[in-house]
Amino acid sequence: MVVVQVIVGGLLLGAIYALFSSGLTLIWGMMNFINFAHGEFVMLGMYVALLVVVWLGGGPAVFGIVAACGLFVLGVGIYLSLIRHVIRGPMLAQILSTFGLALFVRYTAFFIFSANFVSLPQTSLAGTVKIAGIFLPVAQLVAGAVAIFLTLSLHMLLTHTAIGSRLLAVAEDRAAAMLMGIRPDRMQALAWGLSAGAAGIAGALMATAYPWSPSVGETFGLIAFVVVALGGFGSVLGSLYAGLIIGLIQAVSAFWLGAIYKDIVVYSLFVALLWLRPQGLMGKV
Amino acid sequence: MKRTLISVAAGLAAIALAAAAPARAADTVKIGVVFPLTGNAAAAGQASKAALEVAVDIINNAHPELGDLPLAATAGLPNLGGAKLDVTFVDHQGNPSTAQQLATRLVTEDKVNALMGAYQSSCTFTATPVAERYGIPFMVGDSSALNITSRGFKYVFRATPIATDYARTYMRFFADMKKTGKRIGSIAIVNENTDYGTSVGDAIDAEAKKATMPVAIRIPYSASSTDVTAQVLQLKEKNPDVVIFISYTADSILYIKTMKNFDYRPPMVIGDDTGFSDPSFIPAVNDIAQGVMNRSAWAIGKPGSRTEKINDMYKAKTGRDLDDTSARNMQGFFVLAEAVNRAGSTEPDKIRDALVATDLKPDQLMMGYQGVKFDDTGQNVLASTYLIQLHGTHYELVWPQDAATGVLRWPLGGWTQ
Amino acid sequence: MKLFSSSRVSRFSFASVPERVGWGLLAAALLLYPLVLSGPFYRDIGVTFLLAAISASAWNIVGGYAGQVSVGHSMFFGLGAYTPLLFYTLWGWPPLAGLPVAVLLSIGLALVIGQPTFRLTGHYFSMATIAVAELIRIFTGTWDLVGAAIGLQGPATARSLWDLTFRSELPYYYMFLAVLALLLATTAVVERRRFGFYLRAIKASERAAKSLGVPVRQTKMQALALSAAFTSVTGSLYVIKTGFIDPDSGFGILISVQMVIVAALGGAGTLLGPLMGALILVPLQTTTNSWFGGGGSGLTYILYGGIIVLIARFVPGGLFELWHRVAPHFRTRAHAA
Repeated sequence: MVVVQVIVGGLLLGAIYALFSSGLTLIWGMMNFINFAHGEFVMLGMYVALLVVVWLGGGPAVFGIVAACGLFVLGVGIYLSLIRHVIRGPMLAQILSTFGLALFVRYTAFFIFSANFVSLPQTSLAGTVKIAGIFLPVAQLVAGAVAIFLTLSLHMLLTHTAIGSRLLAVAEDRAAAMLMGIRPDRMQALAWGLSAGAAGIAGALMATAYPWSPSVGETFGLIAFVVVALGGFGSVLGSLYAGLIIGLIQAVSAFWLGAIYKDIVVYSLFVALLWLRPQGLMGKV
Repeated sequence: MKRTLISVAAGLAAIALAAAAPARAADTVKIGVVFPLTGNAAAAGQASKAALEVAVDIINNAHPELGDLPLAATAGLPNLGGAKLDVTFVDHQGNPSTAQQLATRLVTEDKVNALMGAYQSSCTFTATPVAERYGIPFMVGDSSALNITSRGFKYVFRATPIATDYARTYMRFFADMKKTGKRIGSIAIVNENTDYGTSVGDAIDAEAKKATMPVAIRIPYSASSTDVTAQVLQLKEKNPDVVIFISYTADSILYIKTMKNFDYRPPMVIGDDTGFSDPSFIPAVNDIAQGVMNRSAWAIGKPGSRTEKINDMYKAKTGRDLDDTSARNMQGFFVLAEAVNRAGSTEPDKIRDALVATDLKPDQLMMGYQGVKFDDTGQNVLASTYLIQLHGTHYELVWPQDAATGVLRWPLGGWTQ
Repeated sequence: MKLFSSSRVSRFSFASVPERVGWGLLAAALLLYPLVLSGPFYRDIGVTFLLAAISASAWNIVGGYAGQVSVGHSMFFGLGAYTPLLFYTLWGWPPLAGLPVAVLLSIGLALVIGQPTFRLTGHYFSMATIAVAELIRIFTGTWDLVGAAIGLQGPATARSLWDLTFRSELPYYYMFLAVLALLLATTAVVERRRFGFYLRAIKASERAAKSLGVPVRQTKMQALALSAAFTSVTGSLYVIKTGFIDPDSGFGILISVQMVIVAALGGAGTLLGPLMGALILVPLQTTTNSWFGGGGSGLTYILYGGIIVLIARFVPGGLFELWHRVAPHFRTRAHAA
């Protein structure tokens, strides 16, 4: 039954990957823009969780919401002050803008929080349950479940609400959307807010189960890219499937091939995808 | 073209400022320290920096309460007329090329009399040739790569034990345990896969072979892994009697928590310092990691002891207990200062000769080494380590027997105590 | 899309006296620097500057002129760094012997990964280059032959002149300066030939270029190969001077990012842009690390990141663009718009 254990663990982590990648794919689909600082948003979400616990004494629900809202505002702010301007400029500037942002955010976090690894004091999500012989750490179980729920919610938001269809309209054809009376600028700002918010809450969820430091943003950013590449740029549902798949592949290859090879497998998959099927599972080319 | 020339001028102006150092008083002994103060190893670098600052305080000011610890009772270096130590810390950011450049700066611009550093072996590799080239003694405080001292350099010294020392210590410990009837059929080695983990893991593998101790499984992994479930499940499957972790902080904590989650409790867990000694380790996993062992050449010791006083000074400065890595750097620094004092001069060659002649006894040290004596490669052959075990909220010294202050508990209790 | 190309787009001539004087002054400054500021630390900064200028100028060929923003150039740098030390470790050859082999290997790598990667454009292309470089870095960390995570070392002391293990930085400085001069000369030649026009056309619009008969795929591959070759040389020079390499210092993503930033700061797609970027950035990094580094707060990188964001936001053409905006009356020729 070890195999099942490995699979379940991989899926639970993959769900969180899905959540924080969903924002990245949304932006990519809408604006053909990669946010190289995306991983730092996740990292910030983790620190927000810490601050809420230490200052306000809140539990997972509280810090989850605070992380989501705080990062949402940050995402909108970054769009309005920076992205909106560089998107009209040369490719080089677009790429540099978020790279520079990533460095700035990461090292500001180092400055404020120091390089020490931190973890949340035990929350109400401590402990492990055992179902049918499978160990399910409560924190990871809840995080995974919430992540799936939120990713699906985002997908529903996009496909079943008025505002969602406006977002998708801008993604599909900016000019036409403008003609329809939709303001692309607003929609893009909203998308950035949602993207950062999703990353933030994913970070808060991860904080319940894993320790971190300001340097974790780099790893998460790269994972998000892989998930988005697999799921298809622009498809939130795609990133849900892809997140789960990547989590699964990581866990299984770590178990059977060895921990250091799991990264090689995931990156090779990434490279192969970019070369052979850039649109991923569900994206549009 | 004009813009290029203007930027040339700007660049030169900036360079002129780059090496700016405030004027220094005479009658001081200048020591340059190259550490990672930013980047991934910043936590360790900062902790060691704080430890060295405490050491400077001990040496520069009179601390008679520290007894026979060399240079503590007096203010400054007695053989140099009370000259004080002046330490310049620089940040190599974990970059070997920057470490090299900063070592050059310290020697040629700041005119230091000795160097210390550099934590990461990669940075020590590139900084030490600079010292060798200029004939400035370099004390390696804590870098474990074997060939730092095997390049035939005359100015490089290392007071701390190295990977083979640790591996041999573990094997001796296992032999001792078997004598008292504990079953150790096989061990597992779980190491993070950068130079630190790989070199210690390789050393343990080699020594285990010599001691005919079967290694059930060797698991290299990436320290930045988010999740270690697969590794823990592999261990559970192989069921070794002892698991040795060679890990950094986040991964150490992750492993303990994951083991608890999957109810995997091997008879014994030994952490190879580093992560297990980090100040955030105990608070994070203290209630589930009871009985976990660790290696340390540093122990706070009994109340009222010299080491406890040193720990108090460090704690007053940083709010945390002194960890083994920082303590080893601190000890290296004391050895260096003692040699400078014995040389009675700031001339690098005299300091170097004094280092070669170093022969410190255990009661002159803050660490549990059997002494300090350098062989002709510059390695301290009397370096050794204790094994400690987590009892309650502190590590207790449990091995070797003659130094032990606590009783070894086997198997470990983990979360059941 | 604006083209911030140098004012000498259509003609590369020394006709104008001020320009000749300018080049002369620049050459003199570079040649005399280590003799005037002769402390080893200053010379070391000079060497660091040259390495940054060479790698950024190499990147510039494919990233600046052709607009293919690769953020994975560390793969060529690392290959150029590992090969010489591998030859030394395995067979005791002087590291220099590995340099030409590394160049060939890098060109080979460029051709192999260029094929599939150039089918992607814009951000996708950048993403792919990052992925390939990361894959190589991780793989190198597991491969025992090249030292895995521990890395490789060069000769600790010189066995012969060929080992190039100099005690002084001066020989390194002039060697590297020669390579920079060669690279800039090559770039200048490229700039005024048809190949250079193809590059700029591709940057402006690949589709339009193709419809005008530009052999787009071939041109991109050639640019990448040329860029890779010089980047590889930079790696070899680095390792000859530093004497040590491991996966992070060879293939790390910060190496790729630095090349891009240095070129962009000065002005990507211009001949002297990368040089200017290096002139500003290297001393800046060294200074801020000296002032703030000891305190350990990471201010160096906060500054670095902040500057990059500001450039991207306000002057994406780098200092060249800034100059154009600030001092219009110094312009002597019309610019291609």
